[in-house]
Amino acid sequence: MSTTTAQAGTPGAGQDAVVPKAQDDGAGPDRRRRDRLSRHNLAGWLFSTPFLVLFLTFMAFPIVATLLMSFTDFGLRNVTDPLSAQFVGLDNYTKLFQDDKFVKALFNTGYFVILGVPLTIGSGLAAAVLLNSGIDRLRTFFRVGFYAPVVTAIVAVAVIWRFVLDPSEGLIAGLGHQLGIQTPDFLGSETLAMPSLIMMAVWRNMGSAMVLFLAGLQAIPTEVREAARIDGAGIFQEFRRITVPLLRPTMLYVAVMTTIGFLNVFEEPFVMTDGGPNDSTLTISLHMYREGFDFFHMGYASAMAYVLFVIVLAITTLQLRLLKDKTS
Amino acid sequence: MTRTKSVSVAATVVVTALALTSCGSSGGERVAADKKQTLTVWAMGEEGTRLKAVTDEFTKQHPNITVKVTPVGWDVVHQKLVSAIAAKKTPDMAQMGSTMMGEFIALDALEPVDTKTFKKSDFFPATWDSNVKDGTAYGVPWYADTRALYYRTDLAEKAGVDKAPTTWKDQQALAAAYQKAGAEWGTDLQPSSTGAWQSWVQYLYSAGGELIGKDGKPALDSPAAIRAFTQWASYFKKGLAKKTFTPGYDVTKDFGSGKRPMFQSGPWMVANIDDQQPQIKGKYKVVPVPADKTSTSWVGGASLVTFKNSAHKAAAEELTQYLTTPKTQAKWYEADKALPANKAAWDEPALKGGGDSLATFKTSLDTAKAIPPLEKWNEFAAAVEGALSKISQGADPAATAKTLQKTAEGLVG
Repeated sequence: MSTTTAQAGTPGAGQDAVVPKAQDDGAGPDRRRRDRLSRHNLAGWLFSTPFLVLFLTFMAFPIVATLLMSFTDFGLRNVTDPLSAQFVGLDNYTKLFQDDKFVKALFNTGYFVILGVPLTIGSGLAAAVLLNSGIDRLRTFFRVGFYAPVVTAIVAVAVIWRFVLDPSEGLIAGLGHQLGIQTPDFLGSETLAMPSLIMMAVWRNMGSAMVLFLAGLQAIPTEVREAARIDGAGIFQEFRRITVPLLRPTMLYVAVMTTIGFLNVFEEPFVMTDGGPNDSTLTISLHMYREGFDFFHMGYASAMAYVLFVIVLAITTLQLRLLKDKTS
Repeated sequence: MTRTKSVSVAATVVVTALALTSCGSSGGERVAADKKQTLTVWAMGEEGTRLKAVTDEFTKQHPNITVKVTPVGWDVVHQKLVSAIAAKKTPDMAQMGSTMMGEFIALDALEPVDTKTFKKSDFFPATWDSNVKDGTAYGVPWYADTRALYYRTDLAEKAGVDKAPTTWKDQQALAAAYQKAGAEWGTDLQPSSTGAWQSWVQYLYSAGGELIGKDGKPALDSPAAIRAFTQWASYFKKGLAKKTFTPGYDVTKDFGSGKRPMFQSGPWMVANIDDQQPQIKGKYKVVPVPADKTSTSWVGGASLVTFKNSAHKAAAEELTQYLTTPKTQAKWYEADKALPANKAAWDEPALKGGGDSLATFKTSLDTAKAIPPLEKWNEFAAAVEGALSKISQGADPAATAKTLQKTAEGLVG
């Protein structure tokens, strides 16, 4: 695999972003535009119609509708007559930042992301490196083992983790009891509830990071490693100077996807703690869900959705800039 | 973590549906009760699956009416009903949870009850009251549930208490005695999270307080309310109840093992205990909630409503009437163990010989008070739960009640 990636600012991440520059220069942008609309492309348009129709009705329209709704006071009574909702300008947005719960949710989500993302990426990478070179036997077994949580339904996961964390008869409490240690009530404590959810999320998501890293590792040519070893590189140096730089595109992709997933965290607090105790695990998505579906403040919830959207967009752009390949 | 995405998509789809169908049909022609027709009924949870057996009897008497029962889960029914109303595609009839009434009355979706056919005096007062807004009833009480106190008599004896607790003081003394005798917690009391209000309202009502005062405003910082908050909180303060709560916790197991030998809940727990903890049969008792000024519990349950734009209102009334007669109500009790809302049904043999716990619930129903129908009940309840969660962790009841009152005032009226 080549390490040349697209020029600065191109958002295409991952291994596929290899765009040789020379080809671009041959055909001007004007000719391309004409091509796109010509009869020649009719078949292409026809084939993409089913997708376009679905996308426009179920994605584009709702996205625009949500944006419009975020400037209205859309509530329960507007359900029967949506057009009667009043435009309130930026009221929903200004109200958001005076809402203590929302500020707390922002903080909690930040906490979850800042701790959860590096841990997920780190453990995923560690597992991938070990599986790639360290362990020969039982490789499939470990791969399946690490990946299983990713494909397990969250409700099943919640049942298991509740059992693990249960303060009176859980696995950890039981072990603690054997050793004579008093274990805390993980999900019931304001300080420990969030770290417990983070651990669970890391366990649940490291599998997908691991699979992606494994693919990236296998794409690193053995010649490079051999050359490094001949030059006298130790295991650590090889990891630091060869593996990590060559994994950069994969790293970028994993970081972006994991961060987006973690910023949208909903299921873990929804099934495990219901945002409690005392809102210590209330995340933006959970708060949004409650405002929208429990209380039917659709306008307010839409505003929240857009704030989250802007945050996700900003962080993703920042990551693309910071993790951009500088070797080309 | 894709849930959020689907949530926001669902949100927008609902709204899209609203926009697209806002010019749909409404009302429709009326069909007389004796014409051939199909009546659609939504019923929740277990009731939805059990209702069919009862409606089969009804269709035998009314061969021209086909009843189509659609079971809907309790967790999704709220959203489904709102979407159905938005799309003007409501069923003809539905079972409606008592705390959901206010919202759907506000949406102007329900047909007022014909008070010539259905008499308030036939039902327990609280079951009727939860359907009344500004003097008009919008639902006919179907079944009722009310909270009572469950406690382990065998463990109470061991702890040196041989009398059922009838006052707040007795109750707390019993909790303390249980704990002294080795129980992990003196009582079970939900401190926070969704549904926590259910652990507190009976204290409020027993102290003589109300959720909504006579002036139509919330009365959550009244002296009675503060008294109720203080009493409720004292269980946490004294370490008699667990301060933290895990969503989905079910007390049945800990009640059976004696870890939490006392709790307050509804009539369904009798069946749950008999099913899951048969070893304590006869070793526990159900008594009315302990009294402060009075012993006053609150009433939940469900009513039967007819939707405004149904074309089969006459047939719906027939079915509602059939389902609320004493005979059918007694049959329904046998099928579902749901307590009849019709007072006369309690004279039927199935209920008369129902034992002590049933008699307790009957007594409680006679004196219990309704949860007033509020448009923003969900928010109101969440505000109360927020205050309870603070108070259970040691916040000052009076100060918290004051803040709560302010929040609640913004939600009512």
